[in-house]
Amino acid sequence: MTVFRPGRRSGRRRYRPGRLLSRGSRLSMWAGLLIGIGVYVLFGIVPAAGNVIISFTDYTGLPGAPVHNVGFSNYSSMGTTQSAGFTPAVVATVVFVLAVTIAQNALALLLAHRLSGQGRMAAAGRVLVFLPIALGVTIVGLIWILVFDPQQGPAASLFGAVGVHSAFFGASGWAMPLVIFVQVWQNAGFSTLVFIGGLRAIDPQIYEAAGIDGIRPWQRLRRITFPLLAPAVTANVLLAVVGAFTTYNLIYVLTDGQYGTQTLGMLAFNAAFGSFQANLGYGAAVTVVLFVLTLIVALPLMALLRYRERRLLGTS
Amino acid sequence: MRHPRLAGRVAIGLLVVILFVLPVLYALMIAFESPSHFLTSPLTPGSPDTGNFGKAWSGADLGVELANTVIYSVAAAALSTVLGLLIAFPIARRLIRGHSALYTAMFTGLFLPLAIIPLFAEARMLGLYNNRLGYIVLHVEPGLPLAVILLVAFITAIPAELDEAAWMEGAGYLRYLLRVVVPLTRPALLIAFLYGLLGVWNDIIGPVVLLSDSSLFPVTRGIYNFFGSNESQWTLLAAAIVIASLPVVALFAASQRQLIRATVAGSVKA
Repeated sequence: MTVFRPGRRSGRRRYRPGRLLSRGSRLSMWAGLLIGIGVYVLFGIVPAAGNVIISFTDYTGLPGAPVHNVGFSNYSSMGTTQSAGFTPAVVATVVFVLAVTIAQNALALLLAHRLSGQGRMAAAGRVLVFLPIALGVTIVGLIWILVFDPQQGPAASLFGAVGVHSAFFGASGWAMPLVIFVQVWQNAGFSTLVFIGGLRAIDPQIYEAAGIDGIRPWQRLRRITFPLLAPAVTANVLLAVVGAFTTYNLIYVLTDGQYGTQTLGMLAFNAAFGSFQANLGYGAAVTVVLFVLTLIVALPLMALLRYRERRLLGTS
Repeated sequence: MRHPRLAGRVAIGLLVVILFVLPVLYALMIAFESPSHFLTSPLTPGSPDTGNFGKAWSGADLGVELANTVIYSVAAAALSTVLGLLIAFPIARRLIRGHSALYTAMFTGLFLPLAIIPLFAEARMLGLYNNRLGYIVLHVEPGLPLAVILLVAFITAIPAELDEAAWMEGAGYLRYLLRVVVPLTRPALLIAFLYGLLGVWNDIIGPVVLLSDSSLFPVTRGIYNFFGSNESQWTLLAAAIVIASLPVVALFAASQRQLIRATVAGSVKA
């Protein structure tokens, strides 16, 4: 979820065994390491790889049910009438990722620009925009369900005042934009803090030099701030893209993937654990496709953003 | 010059308030409305009525669920933080061969996809499905990569002479970690613990897939089910939301300074 980058390490780093450690100490060091790495491998690496294996089976998750190797049939059935919903899910995913990435970064940039200061109001603003992350997707989702309740909610009154009536989260055409909105609302705070980190990293002397040259505020923003914010832009765009591709917990709370909001992540979950499906093999195959799709988009995007950083900052 | 700046400030203040404060206030307001008042005039506050809270508390079984949530999230986040330290120290001090590869492997962990389907299969096979201990064990890994990355950065800043001096005097490894490294890395430990805790606390997919007994449900699944079974009893749901989010809001209020500062500082390091 976070995009902390590994610190650049100076020079060659060589292994320096702790000769001063006693035998017992060395034993406890290795014990601690092995437990930690064991947990990471068993519950991080193995599940990631396990998706691929399960995707070639008809695993149902039901106790005692036999599991067969079904070859590529989980993959070849995608997009055919046997598993309707795949193609719409691809479309929904693309729409969701594009809209969330653009909206989340635009909003976060706007907020960061105003909330990066040292004043009390700015500090209070930072707390407020970060609050949805503490509240979590379930509470956030339910709050917005209350707000957009078609009968009693304030949004219904607001839209009703201009003659627009809708079931909102229960209406095709409305559900997707609203889900995108809540996703942005939920995550904009984190992006804002990343942008604030970027803004604060800009050397104030650059602005002073620009002030002497009599540059206008808009020019200053466009020519100095935004280019120098490139590392934060890289982090935030990748964060939003990968997050929008892979997370579906908020969609699960808001619509459970109904009314045109079934992204690939949501589809995989529903195929596996949705009512009366128990098709974990197919769900795993969808997850693998989603993972490959994420890489196909994220890796070139990362290269592009890094190239942009180098060009704008003029460093290696 | 002055006027546009002021206008900009007011505009952003309004945006923050309308976007981030009003929805939360609305939920808070209707939590205090009697159902009958809510039905007739939902948008105006009525005379405060606390009846919803009692009904939500017992109806959604919030006591048990909050206790479950606290147990799960504190235990899992503590374990990820401790294991994070046990992995981070040898990496930061280069005490093992392949410390660099291990660091890269942990960093990659930030981007591993959430593999809930294989995790479910593993939970079934290893006897971790539908029990408290299993649920905790399954939630340790997601917090590990961030803990390791934060702690490596912090430990690297502690002079290595310090450990050599202590070890020469025969201080044990774990004792040294506890007595010297833990106090010096407290900010990083706190951030790793908090992010780990929020991750477990707010998980909704995990409880849906990995638990089936309602007595084991954490509060996220509890209020989500309560929402499903009490469709359109919004004042009750709002009260449940308020109760369920109070602990995490209190924790956030207590730690927001460190959390926000660390996120701002740590997010963009070239």
